[in-house]
Amino acid sequence: MRLRLRHRTTFVYAGHARDSFNEVRLCPREHELQSCRRFSLRTDPDAPTQDYIDFHGNTTHTFSIAEPHAELMVEAESEVDTVPNADRPPPPTGAALVPLGAAEREEQAEFLVASHYVPLAEELERESRVALASGRTSAWADFLKIGRHVRHTMAYKPEATSVSTLATGALRLRAGVCQDFAHVMIGLCRLAGIPTRYVSGYFLNLSRQPGEIDASHAWVEGYMPLVGWTAYDPTHDRLADERYIQVAVGRDYGDIRPVGGTYRGAATRELRVEVEVREVDALTARQA
Amino acid sequence: MSILSSTYDCGPFCDEMYSAAGTIRPHYRRLAERLETLPEADFQQRRAAIDLAFLRRGVTFTVYNDSEGTERIFPFDLIPRIIPASEWKRLEAGLVQRITALNLFLHDLYHQQKILKDKVVPAAQVLSARHFRREFMNFSVPRDIYVHICGTDLIRDDAGRYLVLEDNLRCPSGVSYMIENRAAMRRAFPNLFQSYGVRPIEGYADALLKSLRYITPRPGDKPSVVLLTPGVYNSAYFEHTFLARQMGIPIVEGRDLVVRDSHVFMRTTAGLVPVDVIYRRIDDDFIDPSVFRPDSVLGVPGLVGAYRAGNVALANAIGTGVADDKVIYAYVPKIIKYYLDQEPLLPNVNTYLASEPADRKFILENIAKLVVKSANEAGGYGMLIGPAATAAECADFRAKVAAQPRNFIAQDPIMLSRSPTWCDGQLEGRHIDLRPYILAGEKTVVTPGGLTRVALRKGSLVVNSSQGGGSKDTWVLKGDL
Amino acid sequence: MARSGRPPPARTQATVMLSRVAYSLYWMSRQIERAENMSRLLDVNLQFLLDFQGFDDAGLKEHWGSILASAGDEALFATVHETADSRTVTDFLAFDLRNPRSILSCVFAARENARMIRDQISTEMWETMNEMYLFLKDRSATDIWIAGPYDFFQHIKRHSHLFQGLTDATYPRSEGWEFIQFGKWIERADQTTRILDVKYHILLPQAADVGGAVDTAQWQAVLRSASASEAYHRFYVQEILPWKVAEFLIFSDSFPRSLHCCVLQVDELLRRIVGETSARARTEAAKAARRLMTDLASLTIAEVLERGLHEFLLDVQLALERIGDEVVKTTMFYSSEFDPEEQQQQQQQQ
Repeated sequence: MRLRLRHRTTFVYAGHARDSFNEVRLCPREHELQSCRRFSLRTDPDAPTQDYIDFHGNTTHTFSIAEPHAELMVEAESEVDTVPNADRPPPPTGAALVPLGAAEREEQAEFLVASHYVPLAEELERESRVALASGRTSAWADFLKIGRHVRHTMAYKPEATSVSTLATGALRLRAGVCQDFAHVMIGLCRLAGIPTRYVSGYFLNLSRQPGEIDASHAWVEGYMPLVGWTAYDPTHDRLADERYIQVAVGRDYGDIRPVGGTYRGAATRELRVEVEVREVDALTARQA
Repeated sequence: MSILSSTYDCGPFCDEMYSAAGTIRPHYRRLAERLETLPEADFQQRRAAIDLAFLRRGVTFTVYNDSEGTERIFPFDLIPRIIPASEWKRLEAGLVQRITALNLFLHDLYHQQKILKDKVVPAAQVLSARHFRREFMNFSVPRDIYVHICGTDLIRDDAGRYLVLEDNLRCPSGVSYMIENRAAMRRAFPNLFQSYGVRPIEGYADALLKSLRYITPRPGDKPSVVLLTPGVYNSAYFEHTFLARQMGIPIVEGRDLVVRDSHVFMRTTAGLVPVDVIYRRIDDDFIDPSVFRPDSVLGVPGLVGAYRAGNVALANAIGTGVADDKVIYAYVPKIIKYYLDQEPLLPNVNTYLASEPADRKFILENIAKLVVKSANEAGGYGMLIGPAATAAECADFRAKVAAQPRNFIAQDPIMLSRSPTWCDGQLEGRHIDLRPYILAGEKTVVTPGGLTRVALRKGSLVVNSSQGGGSKDTWVLKGDL
Repeated sequence: MARSGRPPPARTQATVMLSRVAYSLYWMSRQIERAENMSRLLDVNLQFLLDFQGFDDAGLKEHWGSILASAGDEALFATVHETADSRTVTDFLAFDLRNPRSILSCVFAARENARMIRDQISTEMWETMNEMYLFLKDRSATDIWIAGPYDFFQHIKRHSHLFQGLTDATYPRSEGWEFIQFGKWIERADQTTRILDVKYHILLPQAADVGGAVDTAQWQAVLRSASASEAYHRFYVQEILPWKVAEFLIFSDSFPRSLHCCVLQVDELLRRIVGETSARARTEAAKAARRLMTDLASLTIAEVLERGLHEFLLDVQLALERIGDEVVKTTMFYSSEFDPEEQQQQQQQQ
């Protein structure tokens, strides 16, 4: 599938901001299941950007704006080709019957331990046991079981949590947005010995109503024996397929912050995020 | 009446001045002779003079145990610790070897990670280390030096063997006391000093400045070097101003620096002045709010960006804390072997890692006989000295270790060596350690001596200033006597 | 990034002065000078009222009101106290921390600035400052009032003189010295205008009162507030003539507190600070100082009185404010909008 993305973030300050230093992770990753055809980043006020590859392999852009400004707009545009569903490998049912080897466990150690947003606290441990109460089978089956458990025991409520809510907080409320669903699932999986990581990105919402806005999305990937990272979306209870575009991966939200930074000056009065995900059909593509 | 008493008791410990047989060690004889002829009143007078001088000069540190920091003088003991040349030579070689290996280790960790791939150090230990800075991955640093200033703590066991207790690779402090102590001793015993032939340490500031200038990213002969301090409220502020003045460089706080176009500048009355090298005494967590802790007001937004762009050098580099993690400490002998293909010249203290199942079992079963330390706390906090602790304290630590094994190590208690120290009217043995300072620049230089810290409380093994410690001057002799 | 028209100073990196340090030195100096002047002002006026028992309520109120008005704090005072009398005004001008210009506020702020730059000042300077602070911290306004305000004001004056003396004796003659002196002289000039202005706010006396005992005593108090009484009588004239007092305090080229002398110092230091080497003033601050100097060097008291003494003094205050702001703007903060109080914020997408 060919998808076109536009992600615009606008900060409006109650006054002026100056000496603003920012990092963004908005550039789609390159891997076997997707390829990024083009990517552009622009800011207003205009600023030159630098980029580097961070620890998790995410392309990270940095820019700074010294002079006073009343608004900051960051806009990323990209076009991504995702491998069609028919050509994707099937879910790892068979191979995942073997347990995770010690070497693999060592390699993925950081996705088995606590991280800032996912403290491996007692309540998560209890929940993990509840989710797998019917018994352990294979890594993949357990992974899905946990995912569905999260989907069915948590309610999607945008106002319930904030960007700084930890997995424990979301679990207590049994509510949140995709970020929280992902964090909780990560916590439960890690406690069950399945290395799991956070994925940020977008998906094409085929059932989007006119006027409904798209948004950034978050899901997870579990490390399956012999197969590697396999994606699953706990908010929608489905595997990440050709509609999904992966932008960044990390231990949790803290590693993949799409747009963040510091500045001096007035507080942020308003934050607007506009995301647009569209399919580019072959005809338009040829003309483009 | 001289202060040397015939009833001095060495106990079962190695004593710096007295041998097991009760005789004075050869390199202390001259000192003993001098003390023999020095009346006690005279001795007291010199002590009082030094204390007053320290007070007036403000040679202080701040303790933050209460809500308001209180400034204290770091207590100083007049009896020096003396090290003969041949002994020092061995220590020096061991310290140079260690810092060389650690620099190679850090470079590897932040680049290829070969040592992890070869499974010499478990990847999990490194990746879960609090001070492993992912943001620093694949960074290139000037001259490939990560640790420019290192303070390695050494102790001696009851057999008189020197062991490394820990490395301090982030912002090691205490140098100012070392220099002030030397100045005090010169004033108190000028003739003794002359006759002994003590190696000078006054060149520290020059050596430090040289190694800072060495890492400038900008070609030219006058690199702009500054000292970055968290400010007046930091416990080591005195030392920051002391060193800045000795080196003749400006001392700045985060708000005095600004990053423009990935270059670092100082705000001065003459406008923005470029900065090439920053000797930073601010921890990584606080050094750049746009990358690390966003609530830090001590740091410089954009500093890491300028560093990444190669426009400024930091000493010590970011991320060195992973190598002074107490768990990684246990692997240092292997690290030395791996990079240098040499046996460590200075041994570690035998360490048990709570993260290893076999060791964990041993620790939990024998906790009352061990010294247990939290992997990341500085200053002697978060530590249990089993043999001296109550049953409740042991039980508390046992629970902590079981809950977070990655965060704890344990060691056999070492019978630290003692040095005669003036305590309430007489000389008594008190436990000491030694912190030499190592500078890695064009050459690696170890300042002869360092800070000898002494646990002033009777029977105490804790030498840190914040918990009742004091210090002595350290004399490395030009010869062996 | 040198400013236009200004040759870069030939200073080695080690003697470079941080903007923040300059700012602290400047304000530390101004605040000590301010505290000292306020002490003298209050001290003299309390004495004056003791000498002059013959004031009725209205007279007292007017007297104290004039002090407040010249100090510029009338509006703030009104929100805190209902009537202006010895007690309330002294309380407000000496001890009230809500008043940023009170003696206490000034000393506390000066000490805070000194603390920030502790490594720049000598130990004696710091110890003196600290002593002043500790002295004030331990006292309540009521205690002092009961014990006797005279001793209190003496203490402040002595300590600030000691501080300034120590600065003179121990502070190296460097860029930092220039900022300290600049702060002192600009504040002193400002205070002289306020001392003179006190008399203005007292309603013009009835014809019968001009030259009368009260009038004369009030002018005498003005002189004493500037420590100018002896100098005036010895080097100027014997009798207290209002226009002569004003002339002395504005134009005297020998009395150190006169506006003329203060502004002379301000101009000299200013040129050194901003690096003006040419004869013609280039920077805004130097231009403003030059204009003020010209006025003080050429106007006569008759011309000032014709324009109006109060108006003249206000103009001088404004000019001084402009000069101070310009220097701060150009040497301490290169961006005119920089605000040291500005908060650091974080932002992130939700």
